[in-house]
Amino acid sequence: MKRLTASIALAAMALLAAPLMGQDIVIGNIADITGGTGDVGKPYAEGIKAYTDYINANGGINGRKIKLLQQDYAYKIPEALSLYKKFKDQDKVVAIQGWGSGDTEALKEQVAKDQIPYFSASYSAHLTDPAKSPYNFFCAVDYSTALRGCLKYIKDNWKEKRKPKVAFIYPDVGYGKAPIPAGKAYALELGFEIVGEENVDLKALEATTQLLNLKKKDPDFAWIGGTKPSTSVILKDAKKLGLRTKFFGNIWSADEESPKMTGGAEEGYLFVVGAALYGDKGAGMDVIKKVSGGQLRVSSWIRGWVSMMVMCEVLKTADKNKELTGPGIRKYAEQLTNLNTQGLTAPITYSNSDHRPFTSVILAEFAGGKMVRKGTIDLPRRADWKGF
Amino acid sequence: MSVAHCGDFRQTYKDDMLVLRTRFIRIAVGAFVLLLYLSPLFSSNYVTSTMTTIAIAVIGALGINVVTGFTGQISLGQGAFMGVGAFACSYFMRVVHMPFWLAMPMAGLTSAAVGMIFGLPSARLKGLYLAIATLAAQFILQYVFMHLDAVTGGSNGIPSPPPEFGTFAFDGDRSKYYLTITVAIAAVIFTTNLLRSRSGRAFIAVRDHHLSAEIMGVNLFKYRLLSFAVSAFYAGIAGSLWGMYTGYISAEHFTITESINYLAMIIIGGLGSVLGSIFGAIFMTLLPQVLTVGTGALADIFPKIGFLIMSFKDGVFGIIVILFLIFEPDGLAHRWRMIKTYWKLYPFSY
Repeated sequence: MKRLTASIALAAMALLAAPLMGQDIVIGNIADITGGTGDVGKPYAEGIKAYTDYINANGGINGRKIKLLQQDYAYKIPEALSLYKKFKDQDKVVAIQGWGSGDTEALKEQVAKDQIPYFSASYSAHLTDPAKSPYNFFCAVDYSTALRGCLKYIKDNWKEKRKPKVAFIYPDVGYGKAPIPAGKAYALELGFEIVGEENVDLKALEATTQLLNLKKKDPDFAWIGGTKPSTSVILKDAKKLGLRTKFFGNIWSADEESPKMTGGAEEGYLFVVGAALYGDKGAGMDVIKKVSGGQLRVSSWIRGWVSMMVMCEVLKTADKNKELTGPGIRKYAEQLTNLNTQGLTAPITYSNSDHRPFTSVILAEFAGGKMVRKGTIDLPRRADWKGF
Repeated sequence: MSVAHCGDFRQTYKDDMLVLRTRFIRIAVGAFVLLLYLSPLFSSNYVTSTMTTIAIAVIGALGINVVTGFTGQISLGQGAFMGVGAFACSYFMRVVHMPFWLAMPMAGLTSAAVGMIFGLPSARLKGLYLAIATLAAQFILQYVFMHLDAVTGGSNGIPSPPPEFGTFAFDGDRSKYYLTITVAIAAVIFTTNLLRSRSGRAFIAVRDHHLSAEIMGVNLFKYRLLSFAVSAFYAGIAGSLWGMYTGYISAEHFTITESINYLAMIIIGGLGSVLGSIFGAIFMTLLPQVLTVGTGALADIFPKIGFLIMSFKDGVFGIIVILFLIFEPDGLAHRWRMIKTYWKLYPFSY
């Protein structure tokens, strides 16, 4: 009897120990496939998936495979919360790839308490202060820096004697409002005249009222802090109403597919691109080209790819040092210095006092229906800009 | 063996006042409550926190059932009233430094006051017109949430501190569950008794025929307003608990979608039924989660079309709701009664 008990105990131990060796690393992905931001959320999630498949086929994390759990939360906060609980308690994920502003904000306190690193596609600047959100990371230029970069670029190319007049158009949601105070402060610092401010909803079908208001104030430049659909509405209506304003906008406001929606109204629209453009040169892009079989991948896809790539780099170091835990991942993420994303973004640096990945802004403009890169604005990592 | 009579034979006043009529029902309900309290001991945190969201939904659904199910006034503002409660509770705790135990009822009262203001149109409006008036409440409040930065944190939202009892903080899944389920049970008991009270009967009279009710001496305006207040009070309590559950309150949650969700809960569960509110809340909370897990599992099996399967989720959700309305127009509570009746007379149903 005793021997039987002993052998059962041994077998049980063997069973328990087996998964510990060469065990998969479980990563959760709270994605928006079908919700309000699904137009960019789906390619982003596909990018994450594609990089996971790529790394699993190419050695994994020091030989261990990544098990990616992708679930759609349709941009609904309660569903994101319950998915988070499921990932944490049932699936025991070590880190999460998240998505929008609402859910990232709602989970900010919890991921800090549960010590689960959370890589989001919400690039709100106030996620970059580790004193307030120690477990939040992202891999693109934050919204405030993006707006500052645009303003700097415009000011640098401003030839006239008078002050350039600028206006801000944004949706009345967290994503839209986040960079506005920072943008206004920097616009005044650079010597802009702020002439107007309008709200255009993310789901707006027309923006005539707001644009007629703007037309009276006649700004030289106007910021669009929306997503693709609302941006195309603004650009089309502005063309219809004959505004002479030059529009510029945020990272989610346009991509390769925008000209299809705007039908020519996008000409001259200046906007921030977070990652390299499809078809660029560089080792990173060569891999993407190979994986995609030469089919166009929009920039949100590439941003998803990069986000997963950075996470995997951190996982590799954490795994090597046998610290594949939430705090371990945070520790090694914060030790990243000038991580080379093979030319897909600027080199990424996090520290334990600053989670801004980089402060350079890549700008592109539409010319003849194509995205043309206009240059990179390198902004200083000013301390008073952290979290603002 | 305690048996229910094959008919409605109440012989004493005490008999008439009983909520749980037979010993069997009393034992069954007692066992169920006991099970609710013991369940966190043997279920995972995920299950526990899902049950917490169900309990919150039950409170909110009871609230909207009071105004819509019992008094017959369609309200499309339940989500916004929840938001009022959530923000008020957090404000009372952070700024006024009230303990949660005081802040939660205060938030409920705040929400009730707001509910009464937006219930005022019910004096003149009925049916669809009233629905549109309450829809305005939803949008006005949403606007307030976004712009009253000092209280709501604007679009960034605000943290909601955990309740404390002495040195014990309710910040774990289990402690949050116990707190929520206790409040939910209290809400169920209160609603059941409310319906048997003078006010409850007045509510039902207003719903069934407002003219007759008025002739009987029911003050229509008073009771309509009261029902809005009670409903918003429940919503405020549910909102406070929601804030406690998430630890962070964001205006993006309390939208028209949330209001319609609550309306759907009581339609699916059963209008004018306490049990219906509970069934509806369970159904509407679990269905999306079951679908998420289901489609996720399917997507794992067929990785090539994973995203396609996930996009079916909302469609399947809609189809299930429609099928329910076709085949269960009186709600889940009605089906439950049918099942009970069947077994009551089993196997001699005639």
